[in-house]
Amino acid sequence: MSDELHSAAIPSSGGVARWLPWALLVALALLPVVGAQLGLDYYVGFVRRMLIVMIAATSLNFILGYGGMAALGHAGFIGVGAYTVVALVDAGVSSAWTAWGAAVLVSGAFAALIGAVSLRTRGVYFLMITLAFAQMLYYLAVSLSAYGGDDGYGLYSPLELGAGRTTGDAALFFWVVLAIAALVFSFASRAAVSRFGHALTGIRDNETRMEALGYPVYRLKLAAFTGAGALAGLAGALLASHNNFVSPSTMHWTESATLLVMVVLGGLGRRWGAVLGVAVWLVLSEVLKLYTEYWHWPLGLMLIAVVFAAPRGLAGLFDDRSSA
Amino acid sequence: MSLFVAQDLVKRFGGLVATDRVSLSVEPGEVHALIGPNGAGKSTLVNLISGLLPADGGSIVLDGVELTAMSAHDRVRHGLSRCFQITSVFRGDSVRDNLLLAVQAHSGSSFRCFRRRSTEAGLRERALELAHKVGLEDMLDRVAGTLPHGVQRKLDVALALAARPKLLLLDEPMAGMGPEDSQQMVELIARLRAEAAILLIEHDMDAVFQLADRISVLDYGKVLASGDTAYIREHPEVQAVYLGTEELR
Amino acid sequence: MDPIFVFEQLLNGLGFGLMLFLLAAGLTLVFGIMDTMNLAHGSLYMAGAYVAARVHEASGSFVGAVLVAVAATVLVAFVLELLIVKRLYARDHLAQVIATFGVILIADDAVKAIWGPSPVMATTPAALAGPVQLLPELPYPAYRLVLLAVGLLVAVGLYVLVNHTRVGMLVRAGASNRKMAEFMGVRVGRVFSFVFALGAALAALAGALMGPISAVQIGMGEAILIPALVVIVIGGIGSVRGAFVAALLVGLVDTAGRAFLPPLLRSVLPPALAADLGPAFAGIAMYVLMAAVLILKPAGLFPARA
Repeated sequence: MSDELHSAAIPSSGGVARWLPWALLVALALLPVVGAQLGLDYYVGFVRRMLIVMIAATSLNFILGYGGMAALGHAGFIGVGAYTVVALVDAGVSSAWTAWGAAVLVSGAFAALIGAVSLRTRGVYFLMITLAFAQMLYYLAVSLSAYGGDDGYGLYSPLELGAGRTTGDAALFFWVVLAIAALVFSFASRAAVSRFGHALTGIRDNETRMEALGYPVYRLKLAAFTGAGALAGLAGALLASHNNFVSPSTMHWTESATLLVMVVLGGLGRRWGAVLGVAVWLVLSEVLKLYTEYWHWPLGLMLIAVVFAAPRGLAGLFDDRSSA
Repeated sequence: MSLFVAQDLVKRFGGLVATDRVSLSVEPGEVHALIGPNGAGKSTLVNLISGLLPADGGSIVLDGVELTAMSAHDRVRHGLSRCFQITSVFRGDSVRDNLLLAVQAHSGSSFRCFRRRSTEAGLRERALELAHKVGLEDMLDRVAGTLPHGVQRKLDVALALAARPKLLLLDEPMAGMGPEDSQQMVELIARLRAEAAILLIEHDMDAVFQLADRISVLDYGKVLASGDTAYIREHPEVQAVYLGTEELR
Repeated sequence: MDPIFVFEQLLNGLGFGLMLFLLAAGLTLVFGIMDTMNLAHGSLYMAGAYVAARVHEASGSFVGAVLVAVAATVLVAFVLELLIVKRLYARDHLAQVIATFGVILIADDAVKAIWGPSPVMATTPAALAGPVQLLPELPYPAYRLVLLAVGLLVAVGLYVLVNHTRVGMLVRAGASNRKMAEFMGVRVGRVFSFVFALGAALAALAGALMGPISAVQIGMGEAILIPALVVIVIGGIGSVRGAFVAALLVGLVDTAGRAFLPPLLRSVLPPALAADLGPAFAGIAMYVLMAAVLILKPAGLFPARA
């Protein structure tokens, strides 16, 4: 049997696709060193935030792009992860790994519960019910006066990473985030071409047929939704450490919408889609903010342009060029 | 003992009784055809048996296992597989990927997410085997949605076969086919009966009388008559139902 | 609990519900007929609020201000439909969400550029500024009574329009079976444009009327959009009657949650906990309502399609 079909999934750019991720990883790993020498600490921080958002976007791309589940409440899980860190720090936990690990578990548990209910609906109703649950989490956070309520909660002392180092060490924390982001990205890329990923795209394309083929459709979707929620929670936990601050606004519905927008912008269900979308969106926002206080409208215009001119997202544009 | 027994199946949609205490059985190795005019409730019955619609009453037993309360996917795992009247394949994927997806459902867990599926030689062998069975081995790399109708129907049947079913539910496999494709499908079904008992829902009377060991006639959600081909052909009520709507030779 | 207080809250809830209905009616029709999710509906509401507040301030005429706001918003909506929304009808919901989210971003910046970043004070018309003595012990703001009256009038008007006119028949035909309507020769494109403009007018009206009793600020459209979406989902997408019932339900549940839940919790829970949970439960109430409705009736209370 031939291998053509599987290599054809990466059109004609096989060589580039092989070394590009590694080159990118090396370049990013060098950034804190170079940045410190050039006095670009702010930008090192910016890239760190970008990497964290990429984790969340990658998880959303997995359920939306591969699984066809249009969830508009992903920021809720980011919030759960962030507040788990807050709760643990407030209770005296100082280890980053404990706090982040707990965030993954707690947000995964929330995702499992919310998914169990939401996945009984379809389409717009699914979109709305995931939004509704995120709103519930939002109001819950507002009401937690012990953690600052509406005003948010400041994390004043950095978390311990082990060997006497903390998240206050900007370069080290950067590398930790980079390593986690790289792991999440590789895992998502691999999962997409695994049995699980294939089953998920099958469900996206023809749910009834998958059920009739013998697939436990609901359980598969729930597993994906739970995993994505857990990863979003991880992003939330890292974001809490990155900002040293957590507030309910993390969970506002426009945050969920923005995440959705970034994924679609980059290219739904494409390996590099989420990463590309986050990079373009955040870099553009940052650059525009430098020049004008009216930095939203060009982004809005870009979204409209993408919907009409590049319906498969920016990653889709690259495909066209390489196969043309 | 019958391989498959459906007893007193009932389905209501609001006030309408779409399936009215229908009982059916299929013997091992048998092709049991289910015919009836449009709107007789054939599609509803297929959906009840395959589990895509919940029944309001009755029971379904396959090979001694009670399937009534099972979800559709669990029924497939217990040996009840189906195809669809409106061709239901993964149109954007190649024939190979279609087959791989079907095969994957029945060998090992689909929750595995670390290993590339493309490295699983066992799956690819099974997929190739299926392709041979229905005669699609030359079209493995074609995109399913671009294939002619008749070929897509074969693929649909192949997807159902991946489950290694004890009972195969064929929902109008000849729908929308020309005579040549129909004849090919008849030959395919005749070969498949060696592997599974078949419940055949079909409009094409030529095909039905060629293939069926037994025929049940459905009308207004009820079984009007059930028996061998000669019995059905001579049955006065059946003739009345079909008079002017379809030719019963 | 004091019956006067309960009655007052009931009126407030109805008022909020009716305003939600004005927003939701357009949203549900656009969704039901064009199968289009328009997130920018809230931006039309914001436009109505801003124009009305500014024209009222400049001219002194509230009625004039509301009319100008509606006219201006319909004009904006006309351009919006022509340039963007029209091209989205055939697209999937995700594309619609993304593009109309883009419109939100543009609209917020446009408002900021025209009227500045800080909230605008919308004054209550002088004639309606005082209270009306509804019952001996219940003074109620005259303006809120007018709000109730206008809301009810529009609801009745919409009911007549949808159920007893030719235009309404076309709209209903489009909502229940678009393909069939096209087949029957209904000029669907025109019906679409009409419905979109009508929805915009209602949203602008709601914005103009809500201005004096809420904050006229950037982001107000996004804040009201979610309750409006909750309403159309509870009511059944595409059903104006469903939107009406659901809007009143949501209005009442939301207002009741805010007014009655905190005292109720205080009577059964320790004060600190009650103070925490009160606002949370109040904020959550409408979402719980939606989740409950969807679990019992997955297509909403009044599904428009059989």
